[in-house]
Amino acid sequence: MKKSLYAGAAALALTSGMAVAADLNGEQVTVFGPWLGPDQEIVEQVLAGFAEATGADVRYVGSDSFESQIKVDVEAGSAPNVAVFPQPGLAADMAAGGFLTPLADGTGDWINENYAAGSSWVDLGTYADASGADNLYGFFYKVDVKSLVWYSPENFEDAGYEVPTSMEDLKALSDQIVADGGTPWCIGLGSGGATGWPATDWVEDLLLRTQTPDVYDAWVSNEISFDDPRIVAAIEEFGAFARNDDYVVGGAGAVASTDFRDSPKGLFSSPPQCYMHRQASFIPAFFPEGTAVGEDADFFYFPSYAEKELGNPVLGAGTLWAITNDSPGAHALIEYLQTPEAHETWMARGGFLTPHKGVDSSKFSDGATAKMNDILLGATTFRFDGSDLMPGGVGAGSFWTGMVDYAGGKDAGEVAAGIQSSWDALK
Amino acid sequence: MDNIAGTKSSLTWAVHISVAALVFLWLFPTLGLFVSSFRTADQIATGGWWKSMFPSQQNLTLRASPASEQKLEGSLYVIEGELFEEGIEVEISRWGASSQNISTYAAGEVGEFRSGETVTVQANGSYRIESETEISGSRGKRIFVTAITPPEFTFENYQNVLFDESNREGMAKAFFNTLTVTIPATVLPILIAAFAAYALAWMDFPGRSLLIAAVVALLVVPLQLALIPLLSLHNDITTFLNGLLGLEGANELKGKGYVGVWFAHIGFGLPLAIYLLRNYMVGLPRDIIENARVDGATDFQIFVKIILPLSFPALASFAIFQFLWTWNDLLVSLVFLIDSTGETTVMTKQIVELLGTRGGNWEILATSAFVSIAVPLLVFFAMQRYLVRGLLAGSVK
Repeated sequence: MKKSLYAGAAALALTSGMAVAADLNGEQVTVFGPWLGPDQEIVEQVLAGFAEATGADVRYVGSDSFESQIKVDVEAGSAPNVAVFPQPGLAADMAAGGFLTPLADGTGDWINENYAAGSSWVDLGTYADASGADNLYGFFYKVDVKSLVWYSPENFEDAGYEVPTSMEDLKALSDQIVADGGTPWCIGLGSGGATGWPATDWVEDLLLRTQTPDVYDAWVSNEISFDDPRIVAAIEEFGAFARNDDYVVGGAGAVASTDFRDSPKGLFSSPPQCYMHRQASFIPAFFPEGTAVGEDADFFYFPSYAEKELGNPVLGAGTLWAITNDSPGAHALIEYLQTPEAHETWMARGGFLTPHKGVDSSKFSDGATAKMNDILLGATTFRFDGSDLMPGGVGAGSFWTGMVDYAGGKDAGEVAAGIQSSWDALK
Repeated sequence: MDNIAGTKSSLTWAVHISVAALVFLWLFPTLGLFVSSFRTADQIATGGWWKSMFPSQQNLTLRASPASEQKLEGSLYVIEGELFEEGIEVEISRWGASSQNISTYAAGEVGEFRSGETVTVQANGSYRIESETEISGSRGKRIFVTAITPPEFTFENYQNVLFDESNREGMAKAFFNTLTVTIPATVLPILIAAFAAYALAWMDFPGRSLLIAAVVALLVVPLQLALIPLLSLHNDITTFLNGLLGLEGANELKGKGYVGVWFAHIGFGLPLAIYLLRNYMVGLPRDIIENARVDGATDFQIFVKIILPLSFPALASFAIFQFLWTWNDLLVSLVFLIDSTGETTVMTKQIVELLGTRGGNWEILATSAFVSIAVPLLVFFAMQRYLVRGLLAGSVK
């Protein structure tokens, strides 16, 4: 009798649609994620919305060393209820170790229906468990677009430059800036222990612009080896920008040693040190104080080759929420993240993109973010940041250091072969 | 002989120079950090701290007031204002109206924007834009100046770290949490190590040398090795205790907590503590201890009445070490203390949080360094006369 009552209640909860029906009064739901500082305040606001809807006591803790800490916590058995992974690769490792709980039935269908390119988000969140069976573990919430080039519209106007619409134009513009006595690019790879990652984004973006998405997928899963000529060509394509002394501020030698957080500041110096900066949608946080995005600084889509007919590929990244310590509250939280409200709360505070089709796009904090979201929704091909999908030892290890070596002057083929052998060693 | 007591070594000058060099090596970065803690993020990103103390010539991009401030004077649309805030003494030498030509005009000359408006900038930063047609654009016009600006410092960073509404409470909580971690984690290992050191130094029992060797060997075990096994041990113990005592829900004992972090700090601190104290105690004069034995003192009495008072310098120096380690520790706290409820944060963790998701906020880092160093400095100055003596612990017989 009691059982059927619960079943009835569950059915009711499902049919009642978007309203999160579970009453979690007083239940503690702990969330552990990578956000700190201002981002932490925002995510706490989102979670406060969940607390209000359900009565749960939600706690968020962030860490700058999320990747290593979650491993310690999970393996020692003091995992939080929900963990927010910046890298799907890490979540896949956890799932294979049996530390994740599959999301509730029907979540996959919901994503398919309500997210733009829904099936690819489902695929990115689906991993094999300890016994090898595939389950949906990760729910994507908050996405970054990486294929953006930032510039100062006023500097472009002063110099009479036009925003390029194809890769050929972009290279022609770079040459023109050099001919005019300027420096086109600010590139910085420095990032403390993660030095090198901005270069991996460059290579991924350029690979998507020189090869078909299939090649990209096969490369990420290492079906195509890292030292394949097509991959080496993409690395050399990056070198055409970063290893050209005329193209980058401070010359090619400064690329690896410049911190990625400092490098965009060259756009705003007087006289401008550089005119363009390729970086993901989060970078305005490191613009000088008082810079208005959309006016003082703007961005354009990192264009594709007009002659290659590969469409408009977009490289992105995102955070995925997974249940590391099963509880009704954890499932209710994932359910809450499916409501437009959860997305709109962060949208209104800026720096947030979402593939959710049901959100009110007038809620975006500014026109620039809405424009970014259009790039995301209008992509002919969307691919997730490959280095985040590769095994940690490569995607957060030899790929980074290899790119620093390459920026320092090492041969691309040699670098790629080194990365491949480190990948082989992990198998 | 050079080394006879009372005669000066001929190498005194070398000693003095190296001491001065070492002091400089330590103080110079500290001074830089201190100066940086009074500068804004943009200042830190654009210029070295060593330049910030003197008036300097800078190329600046400044904005005039937006078009909404324009006034109609006769047939002219005019925007007037000051490029610099009031009270700042600047001297503009050259200026320009386009990022391509940032030093075309001298102060007082009349220039022209790309869009046709004329503009005059005076040496003190006041400007006047004139146009026959209405001025448009939502942002003010950019004016590029080459100016000599006075040094500029701000307390804003300290304001942010200590008194900002969003983290004032967190900081205060973290401060007391850190004390809760640090004080027992300093006192307990000393207490245990003093007993152990006495036994290892002055009590005869089989296997004593092996035990000492084992303690020394433990010194080289890296603590990272023990993080996961120790934490799962803590979790197992608390699960067992919860079952035994029938605790549930809110009363449940948790694997992560103060007791756990105390044990971890004690465990990781003990090898060095025992080693340091034992070496010191072994150097105490044998006669005193034997005399006490002859007079009928027990080992406990010898320890309390003779050894402890004589070992005070070594105890104090180890206390300082251990206090500094536990105060500055982030790793052990992250693993053994800070759980996902967020109630048990410590100072180091709070500072990391201030740095933001992608880090790199040097102004916060520099400021936090000086905020968090305050308590260790107090402890150090209160106990430093023991430290100097204690550093020699065990080295001189």
